[in-house]
Amino acid sequence: MNISLNLNGTATDWEVAPGQTLLQALRASGAFSVKLGCETGDCGSCTVLLDGQPVNSCVVPAARVNGSRVTTLEGLLGDDLMIRLQTELVEQGAVQCGYCIPGMLISLYALLKQGPPIDEETIRHALTGNLCRCTGYVKPVEAARAVAAVLEETS
Amino acid sequence: MKVVGKNVIKIDAFKLARGEPVFTDDFTRQGMLYAKVLRSPHPHARILNVDAAAALKLDGVVDVIWHRDVKAIPHTRAGQSYPEPSPYDTLILSPKARFIGDRVAVVVAESVAQAIAALDHIVVDYEELPALTDMDQSLTNSEILIHEEPDPRGISEAGMTNIAARIDKQVGDVEAALKECDLVVTRDYHLPRVQASHIEPHISIAWVDEDDRLIVRTSTQVPFHLRRMLARILEIPEARIRVIKPRVGGGFGDKQELVVEDLVGVLALRTGRPVRLEFTREEEFVAARYRHPQRVTMTTGVMKDGTIVANRMYVLADTGAYGSHALTVQGNTGQKVLPMYPVANIHFKMDCVYTNNPISGAFRGYGAPQGCFALECHMDEVARELGMDRLELRKKNHIKLGDTDPLSAKLGEGKEGLVRVVKSTGLEKAIELGCEAIGWGNKREPSAAHLKRGLGMALAMQGSGIAGVDWGGATVKLNDDGSVNLSVGATDIGQGSDTVLAQMCAEELGIPYEKVIILSSDTDLTPFDVGAYASSTTYISGGAVVKAAAEVRGQLAGVLGSHWECEPEDIVFSDGMVTGPGDQSMTIAEVALFALYKAMIQPMATASHMSNDSPPPFAAQFAEVEVDTETGQVHLCRFVSAVDCGTVIHPKMVEGQIEGAVAQGMGYALFEEVLLDRTGRVLTPDFLDYKIASSLDVPEMVTILVPTDEPTGPYGAKAAGEVPIDGPAPAIVNAICDAVGVRMFRIPATAERVWRGLKEETR
Amino acid sequence: MWKLQEYRIATNPAEAVALMRKGPGKGAYIAGGTDMLLEHPACDFVVDINRAGIGDVARTPGGDLFLGAAATLQELVGNEFVTGFAGGAVSMAASQCGNRPVRSTATVGGNLCNALPSADMAPVLLALDATCYIADEDYQESLPLTDFFVGPRLTVLEDRLLVGVALPGECAGWRCASHKLTRTAEDISLVQVAVALGVDDGRIQEARIALGAVAPVPMRASLAETMLTGQEIAAITPDVMGDVAAIAAGECDPLDDHRASAEYRRDMVSVLTRRLVTRILSDDGDNSQDGAA
Repeated sequence: MNISLNLNGTATDWEVAPGQTLLQALRASGAFSVKLGCETGDCGSCTVLLDGQPVNSCVVPAARVNGSRVTTLEGLLGDDLMIRLQTELVEQGAVQCGYCIPGMLISLYALLKQGPPIDEETIRHALTGNLCRCTGYVKPVEAARAVAAVLEETS
Repeated sequence: MKVVGKNVIKIDAFKLARGEPVFTDDFTRQGMLYAKVLRSPHPHARILNVDAAAALKLDGVVDVIWHRDVKAIPHTRAGQSYPEPSPYDTLILSPKARFIGDRVAVVVAESVAQAIAALDHIVVDYEELPALTDMDQSLTNSEILIHEEPDPRGISEAGMTNIAARIDKQVGDVEAALKECDLVVTRDYHLPRVQASHIEPHISIAWVDEDDRLIVRTSTQVPFHLRRMLARILEIPEARIRVIKPRVGGGFGDKQELVVEDLVGVLALRTGRPVRLEFTREEEFVAARYRHPQRVTMTTGVMKDGTIVANRMYVLADTGAYGSHALTVQGNTGQKVLPMYPVANIHFKMDCVYTNNPISGAFRGYGAPQGCFALECHMDEVARELGMDRLELRKKNHIKLGDTDPLSAKLGEGKEGLVRVVKSTGLEKAIELGCEAIGWGNKREPSAAHLKRGLGMALAMQGSGIAGVDWGGATVKLNDDGSVNLSVGATDIGQGSDTVLAQMCAEELGIPYEKVIILSSDTDLTPFDVGAYASSTTYISGGAVVKAAAEVRGQLAGVLGSHWECEPEDIVFSDGMVTGPGDQSMTIAEVALFALYKAMIQPMATASHMSNDSPPPFAAQFAEVEVDTETGQVHLCRFVSAVDCGTVIHPKMVEGQIEGAVAQGMGYALFEEVLLDRTGRVLTPDFLDYKIASSLDVPEMVTILVPTDEPTGPYGAKAAGEVPIDGPAPAIVNAICDAVGVRMFRIPATAERVWRGLKEETR
Repeated sequence: MWKLQEYRIATNPAEAVALMRKGPGKGAYIAGGTDMLLEHPACDFVVDINRAGIGDVARTPGGDLFLGAAATLQELVGNEFVTGFAGGAVSMAASQCGNRPVRSTATVGGNLCNALPSADMAPVLLALDATCYIADEDYQESLPLTDFFVGPRLTVLEDRLLVGVALPGECAGWRCASHKLTRTAEDISLVQVAVALGVDDGRIQEARIALGAVAPVPMRASLAETMLTGQEIAAITPDVMGDVAAIAAGECDPLDDHRASAEYRRDMVSVLTRRLVTRILSDDGDNSQDGAA
C-alpha cells in the first residue's frame, strides 16, 4: 500500500507491505541510525519520534504512519539540542559499542525537549526503554544531566 | 605522560553518536540473499531426511541445504588459538540434532520474509532419541551418548561417557591438610545459565568478490581465528578469504564463537551471491552461547586464627550440546579464582558434561564469575563459622605482592601453565578505599520497618591475556604530514581498544593523539591478532603497538642522528616536536618530510608481542542492599568497585568497563536466568522475560581506580574488562546475608528465593 | 516477521466492526500494536482503530471519567482529568506500564483487550468500578469491567470493538492506590493489587480490592472488600488488616509459572493488600498505623 509521511522534515511516499514494520521501512529508506535489537519492543535500539513521541519502531506497523511525522536521528543531526547531547555523551565516555546510542539519544531528546525541570530520576525513567549492555547507564545519565543543567541555566 | 592516562575522545564515538552506517548490517550489496535456519524441535534426534521440494517451489527461495549438502568436517566453533583446546565435536550441519534449536537446514531467499515462509514448508524426518537435560544425569548416564561420532578430537571420554572435559589438579595434599584443620567448611553453590545479551545480534554478510575471494563482513571478536576456521571447514585456502570486522555492537565473549559465519560462507560459495544471516533475539537466546551453569562445591580448611590451610573446589558444569570452551572456561573457574588465597594445599577438580541443552560458551569473565561467587560467598561462610570478621579473614589470606600463584604452573589454557608471580598489586589499597566508600562497619538504618540493610564484599582477580598463547601484531607507518597509520589485528567491539592503542602509539611517538589513524581487524590489511578475549587487548596488543611505534621512533632518530650529527638516543620526541641535544628542532611533520623526501625511507615498522606473564588485575567490590522482609525483594542501593588494572590508559573508558560489568554482575546476582523446561526448551527467549538491568535498576555506583605499575605491561597497564564482573554477585549475595541472615546458595537471588529463605529461617 | 496480508484503517467504530467481519481469514484490531506481533503473529489482516475517533479522554457532564480505548497510556499518565481522578491512581498505574516508548503507542483498550491475567491497567480500573462500552455495527452496549474478561486472552468481545471504559463520577474522590510487584523496574507483573476506598465520616463506605496476575482473569477480591466495607477506620487494627489481607489471598487462584510460584503470588496478594490499605488509610491522618509500603 502507498503511504505519505513527513520523514525528517521531507514529504515522503512509501510503498509498504501490510506486515512491514516502521523499523524495516526506515532502514530500507536508508535511515541506518535506527537499529534492530529485539523486534519485540523491549530494547529501544529502534526508538524514533512519531509525531514527536518516542516509539519503538519495531512494533509500529509502517502502514500506521500514513500522514504522520517521523523523525530519526538523521533528521536531528543539525539540531542544537541534539548536537549538545551527542557531544556530551561522547565527552563523558557514554558511547561504548554505540549500538543503543541513537535510540538513547532520541529518548533523551524527547525528554529534554519538554524543558526543565529534569532531574536524574526523570532521566532514568526516560531511559528505561533503552537497554544498554555496555555502560551500566552511569555515563549516559551523567551526560544527560549535564545537558539538562545547561538548559536549566539558559531557560 | 601526554596522552596515556588522558580522557581523549574515543576514536569512534562521534560517528557512533551520529548513527553513521558503521555496523555489519548497515551495508547492502546488490543481489543480496537472506538466510534463515530451520531449528530442531527435538532435544535429541537423528535427521533421517529433509524434503525441501515444497520450499524450493516458493517465490524467492533460492536454495535449501542440510547435512547431505555439506562435507562433514569436525571442528569447534570456539574461536580460539590453534590448536584449539575445545573438542572438535561440531559440524556445519549434522545428521543429529542435539538440542532444541540445533541447526537442521538452512534456507536462502530473496527476502527475509520469503526465507521465513519457506521454513514452514521443509519436511524433516526425525528419529527421536532419548535426551539428557540434567547435568547430574549426564555425569552418570552412559547409555545415552550425546556425542558418539567415530572421529572426535579432544572429547575427554569420547564414545564412553558424556564428559566433554575434566580436570583434576592438586598442589600440596588437601586431604591430609584438612585433617589438621581446626574447622572444615563445605558448601554447594549453584550458578545459573545467563546470556551475554549484546544489543546487536549476531550478523554476518558474505560474498564472493571479482577476484573469486570470499569476503565475510561480520560482527566478530576474532577475525583472524575466523579466517583460519572458515578455510578449514569450507575447504578453501585461507588466501581466498578476507574477514572484515566493522563496528561491533557488543560481544562480551558471545561473539568469540562462530555461530553464523560458516553458513553465510557456504551459501555465498554455493549461490555465488551475497548472503546475509542475522539472528533474531530469540535465536540469541536459543542458539548463541551462555555462561556455563555450574554447581560448585567448596571445601575450606582453616585454623582458629583464620589461617586458611586448604581449599578444594569441585565444579560440575553443563556445556550443553557442544563442548565449546568446555575445558577452558571451567579451567578458569579454578585457575583465575583460587589463587586469591594462595594456600599450600589446593585441589581443583571439574567435570564438564554434555547435555541436550543449548550451548554454553564464552561470556565475559569466562568461568571466573562462577568460581568467584562460590569462593567469595564461601569466605563469608567460613568467617561466620569461625566467628571471625569476614574482612579480616580475607586480609589475612589474600595474595600479596611477590606471591606466586600456586596453581599457575599446573593449570594453564587447557594444559600446563607458566609460573605466575604477582609483580604489581593494588589490592590492599583497593580494599581500604572500597571500605571507606561503602561505609564498611557502619550499616545505615533501613528506610522502613519491613526493610533490612546489609553490606557485602568480594575480592576478585583475573588475568591479562593468556600467558604464552595470546599475541598480536601492530604496524606503524609515518605519513608526510606527521600523521601515523596504525594498523592492528586487535578487535574493537565497543570496549574502546582502537582508542587505547592509538593513545599508546601517540605517546610512544610523542605526537598528538589526533595524528593517529587507526585501522583494525581486517585480515587482508592488518597484522594478526588473536582477537578480543581473555582481557588481552590493552596488555598484549598494546605491547605490540608500543614496540612498533618505538621502532619507528628509532628509525627517525637514526635518520636525524646522521643529519644532526648527534647520538640517536639523545633525540627527544614530545608534543609533536622532535628535538636534538643542541638546539635542533623539527615538527613531526618536518621530520616526516625529511625522512620521506631527503632520506628517502618510509618510517614504518611491524612488531609482534606475546607475554609469558598474565598479570592479575584486582578488584575489591562492595554492595549495600536493602531487603524487603515480606516480599523478598532486594534493592541494590549502592555498589563500590575499587579496581587495580595497572596504569590507567583512559580513565573514563576503564570506569565504563567497570560500570557496565557491575550492571551485568547485578543481573547475575538478582534477576538474570535463562530458564529451560525439562526438554531443554528455552522458556525465556526475549527481553520480556529475560531481564537485563535498565537505567532504573542499576545502583548508585562508586568506581575507584587504584593504579599500579605492572612491570610487564605497556606503560604499566594490566587488563580491566573482565575482573569487575566477578565480584558483584558474591558481594550482593553476601550483603543479603548480612541484612537478613539468609544465605542464597543459588543465584539469581530472586525475590521469591529470598522470600523462601526467610520463611525457612523463621520456621 | 509479521505475515500480514492486509492493513485496514477504520474511521469510526461501526466501520471497524464491519471491516473486521468482512474477512477473509483471521483478523485483529490494532491500536498501539506493541503486543501485536507477540500475541497475534498469524493474522491475515488487522483493522487499525487509531483513527476511529475513540482516543479521547474526557469528563462526562455526569462527572464520569471516560477513557477512549485508543487513548495511549502516555496520555493517561499526563492527562489532567486522569491525574485529578481518585488521587491520580489511574495515571500512576499507566506510568508503571512498559516504558516511555511503549506508552507512546500502547493503549488502554489494547491492554484490556489482550486480556492477559497480568494486564497492567485492569486492577486499578476494576477497583474504580469501570464500565466497558462495546460497539457492534449497529448498536453499542455497556457492561461492568468485571464481566469483560472471560479467560486468559479471552474477552466477551468476539469480533466487536471496545470503544472505551468509564469510571463513575462518585469514585473521583475515592482514595485509590495500586502496586505492581515485578522482578525489575520495568517488567510484566508477578502480582498486582489495586485498592480503592470510599471514606466518609471516619468510616469506609465502600471498598474495592482488585488483583492481577493471580487468576485466569484480573479479578475482584469481594470477600475482603465486604470485610472492610462499613468499618470504622479507627477500628481497623493490624489484626483486622491481617485478616482482610489473608482473605484476599484466599480468594485468588494463582498459577505456578516460570516467573513465580502460586504460593509466592498468593502470599504477595496478602502483603500488598495490607500495605495498600494501610497506606491509603494513613494518608488520611485519621489513624496512627505506620505506613508500610
